[in-house]
Amino acid sequence: MSWETVIGLETHVQLRTRSKMFCGCSTAFGAPPNTNVCPVCLGLPGALPTVNGYAIQLAVRAALALRCQVHLRSIFARKNYFYPDLPKGYQISQYEEPLATDGQLAYTSPERGAVSATIVRLHVEEDAGKSVHDRVPRSTAIDLNRSGVPLAEIVTGPDFRSPQEARAYLLALKEVLEYADVSDCDLEKGSLRVDANVSVRRVGETALGTKTEVKNINSFAFVEKALTLERDRQIATLEAGGRIEQHTMLFDAKANAVRPQRTKEESKDYRYFPEPDLPPLVVPEQWIAEGHAALPELPAARRERFATQYGLPAQDAAVLVQSRVIADYFETTVTAGADAKPAANWVMGEVLADAKARAGTLRVTPERLARLIELVKDGTVSHPAAKQVFAAMADNGLGDPHAIAERLGLIQVADAGALTGWVEEVLAGHPTEVARYRKGETKLLPFFVGQVMKVSKGKADPTRVPSLVKERLGG
Amino acid sequence: MSVTRQEVERIARLAELHVDDAALPVLTEQMSRILDYVSQIAAVPGTETVQPFTPGPAALRYRIDDVRPVPLALTPAQLAPAFRDGFFLVPRLGAFDATAGDGGDTE
Amino acid sequence: MTSIAETASTLAGAASLNALLTPLSEVTASLTEQAARAPAGPLAGMPVAVKDNICTLEYTTSCGSRILEGYRSPFEATAITRLKAAGALIAGKTNCDEFAMGSSTEHSAFGRTMHPTDPSRVPGGSSGGSAALVAAGAVPAALGSETGGSVRQPASFCGIVGIKPTYGRVSRYGLVAFGSSLDQIGVCGRTVSDAARVLAAISGRDPMDSTCEDRDPFQLPAPPENLQGFVIGIPKEYFPPDLDPGVRRACERVIRLLKDLGAAVRDVSLPHTAYAIPTYYIIAPAEASSNLARYDGVRYGPRFNGVPDVRALYQSTRGKGFGAEVRRRILVGTYVLSAGYYDAYYRRAQRMRALIAQDFRNVFDRGVDLLFTPSTPTPAFKAGEKTGDPVAMYLADIFTVTANLAGIPGLTLPIGRVDGLPIGGQLLAPAFLEDEMLEAAFTLERAVPGTDEV
Repeated sequence: MSWETVIGLETHVQLRTRSKMFCGCSTAFGAPPNTNVCPVCLGLPGALPTVNGYAIQLAVRAALALRCQVHLRSIFARKNYFYPDLPKGYQISQYEEPLATDGQLAYTSPERGAVSATIVRLHVEEDAGKSVHDRVPRSTAIDLNRSGVPLAEIVTGPDFRSPQEARAYLLALKEVLEYADVSDCDLEKGSLRVDANVSVRRVGETALGTKTEVKNINSFAFVEKALTLERDRQIATLEAGGRIEQHTMLFDAKANAVRPQRTKEESKDYRYFPEPDLPPLVVPEQWIAEGHAALPELPAARRERFATQYGLPAQDAAVLVQSRVIADYFETTVTAGADAKPAANWVMGEVLADAKARAGTLRVTPERLARLIELVKDGTVSHPAAKQVFAAMADNGLGDPHAIAERLGLIQVADAGALTGWVEEVLAGHPTEVARYRKGETKLLPFFVGQVMKVSKGKADPTRVPSLVKERLGG
Repeated sequence: MSVTRQEVERIARLAELHVDDAALPVLTEQMSRILDYVSQIAAVPGTETVQPFTPGPAALRYRIDDVRPVPLALTPAQLAPAFRDGFFLVPRLGAFDATAGDGGDTE
Repeated sequence: MTSIAETASTLAGAASLNALLTPLSEVTASLTEQAARAPAGPLAGMPVAVKDNICTLEYTTSCGSRILEGYRSPFEATAITRLKAAGALIAGKTNCDEFAMGSSTEHSAFGRTMHPTDPSRVPGGSSGGSAALVAAGAVPAALGSETGGSVRQPASFCGIVGIKPTYGRVSRYGLVAFGSSLDQIGVCGRTVSDAARVLAAISGRDPMDSTCEDRDPFQLPAPPENLQGFVIGIPKEYFPPDLDPGVRRACERVIRLLKDLGAAVRDVSLPHTAYAIPTYYIIAPAEASSNLARYDGVRYGPRFNGVPDVRALYQSTRGKGFGAEVRRRILVGTYVLSAGYYDAYYRRAQRMRALIAQDFRNVFDRGVDLLFTPSTPTPAFKAGEKTGDPVAMYLADIFTVTANLAGIPGLTLPIGRVDGLPIGGQLLAPAFLEDEMLEAAFTLERAVPGTDEV
């Protein structure tokens, strides 16, 4: 019995504004609990919402990046439910008339190659506060700093056929939204949250199976894990003759399991109705033009251009383009004079590794990197020596690569006399190996080269050493 | 169109309003009466098609994205019935589970 | 300008009405403090009482409910800020039907308010406390609020002036929400001038309320000599055959006076009038059911303790904290918004509302400047008379609720008495034409013997 998995994703993305969606409180992360609050986001009697224009502009930009149809007129609606971190007892969201619909996002499916996910809708709403369950015994602690932070909710169709695809889409979504500069998109920090709808059906069937909602996924790795677990659970249930109940499933990372949220007596009835405290949301035409203008070259286009313009293989382009900052860095390095391929290798290698260890900080300027790459190209330093220079530049932040190389004594020696001297030193010091080589063990060549590098303290030009050694060994 | 006792119970649960068993019959009768009374608008011609009307501005005005909190004469701690270490406190969620709606959070 | 001592004395004199919720000593102390800081302004020194569903810093805000008993708001309503900036003094909070839901002020958790001249009767509601206090001469003006006639109806019952502005004329920031698309702060006043001056002071754009129109504060018109040039419509649906005879006599006297004053009087029709009450009693409870969801005992107000979990906290706090009328309306409202019923009820009612608003536009667009109608179908009824049947109570608003649905302004002024009980006459105007309404009101007030038996 062959099963097909059907997954749809709902992503909530925090928009990068200074103030909240419906009040002037700060959205700054990390403030002491319940200090970024006011009558509006506390849900006090008599408080009323006012709309943050920049949040709408960011949402429009996100919608354009996802190639959605932006509706110039949309309506806020109340989603009514009770929860301690929802101060008004309703969330102001959008329902029948959302800000944007009918978009798409291209991504690469590990199974199907280049595909497109449909973005059914993108709408704006406010975030709820945070409930902390184990801080005080027998109580739940509520912090409303997050209550009212602007969110864009992005909903796909049931487009994904595997947990891997879902993850690939999410990475592509994160990439696009980072490029559009609308959100930090940090799954672990919570500025990007994902809920999934999962169902299975027999291969060939067109009707959708009963779906469950999977929540509490807070890393990209967990996306695959949680969805795989739920898929497997559904298949096992159906193969055993059972039925899928339309539950909400919570992913428990510690137990590596999905478990049903305790059943509610009835399914949720949110009693949506248009928000009477807010007139219709009308987007000025100008904001559409500005939104387009504010969008940089988006990842898909940039990957293609990197491949054609710089002759980079698709994989390399993909790695470089993943972060807008890194892609910019790479291009600046090339503009500063470096050849594309070595620049790409350096960025994907040393630069990214250093950045990862330093929480994303790029410690070496692209101009200095370009200069360093030039030094390698013209033979002034060897590649391994250049890595040392890079490390020094990263630590010190200043300094011309050539000067640093000199100071560290890494300037490569290409002088035939000096090189010959080291080669003869090495050959003289390893008679056994010389004999073996001359007997036919030509694979010992790298050994000799390495010894020359060692005795020269890395200064020998490694491109010239092998030929000199061969010459000396008469082979 | 009368409303049943079961429906009243369901609505009361949705509204998180406890209703005494003793009060249920009278309440059901009153709600039936009210709902029957208001249902008469369904018979009015034109109410299927005319655009809904709400008074007020035709479009909303935007607020500038500056941090401008409203000063509170009383702090959350002073307003709250139960407060500790900066947090509002509620009895541990029981009948609820960790997430209720889309904005809800689990730790 | 009234002295604080005078105000304290007049408020004390009205104590038996149970109209003032704030203890008198607290009011006096606060008035003294306020007077020391109050700027000079158009309302200099005027003591103004405030309905208890409007947030004030000086006094608690309980909305006539146990669920907010003792609640001190950490911010004040924009209307209050403006009153104070105009030099007025806030003279305590007045009793009202719980969360403004009612037409008699019998549904307050703090006891009913008495009619100022006949304590066995109701003062009307939900702003009964404000109306009674003004009628008793305790204060020249008081703020109330309207969702379905809750300033005009009690003003009419108590024999004073009551004004509801156009929706969006006065900021709702700080008015505890009941029916958001209907709510407006209104004014009860001893005279048209008192009420209008207060209205002018509190009106105008407010960035804190997205439904408040971007307009300058309202300017008071000069009272005209007569009503030459005015076309007054008399809608037949407001004069049904079974209209109380005393009310009819009083209105007919006014219609004669309108003609004497030079106005052209015309019969008109507002055909959907009969559907106003059912429409209102779908929309208002629906919005209320959502607006009152925030009262859950979590962040403010009393909490009914000793409960095992959050759900029990909600249900007990709300079950015990809300009175019967509020619980009923929350349940009706929840029902008409719920899945399967939303289209038939709420959406239908919003469409019905368009037809009601259209009725007014049709009449006003055909050369009619204002409408004149009775304010209420009867004078003040007896306490307990209508609490048995919820729908019977709803019908008390039959002439006032249309203006809230259409968002247009309305004004009531005393036009006579029947067996000592006041009768009110109502003027309705197109949206944002309060000045025309007030011009007619000033003129009528001069001409009508408002306290005479009819």
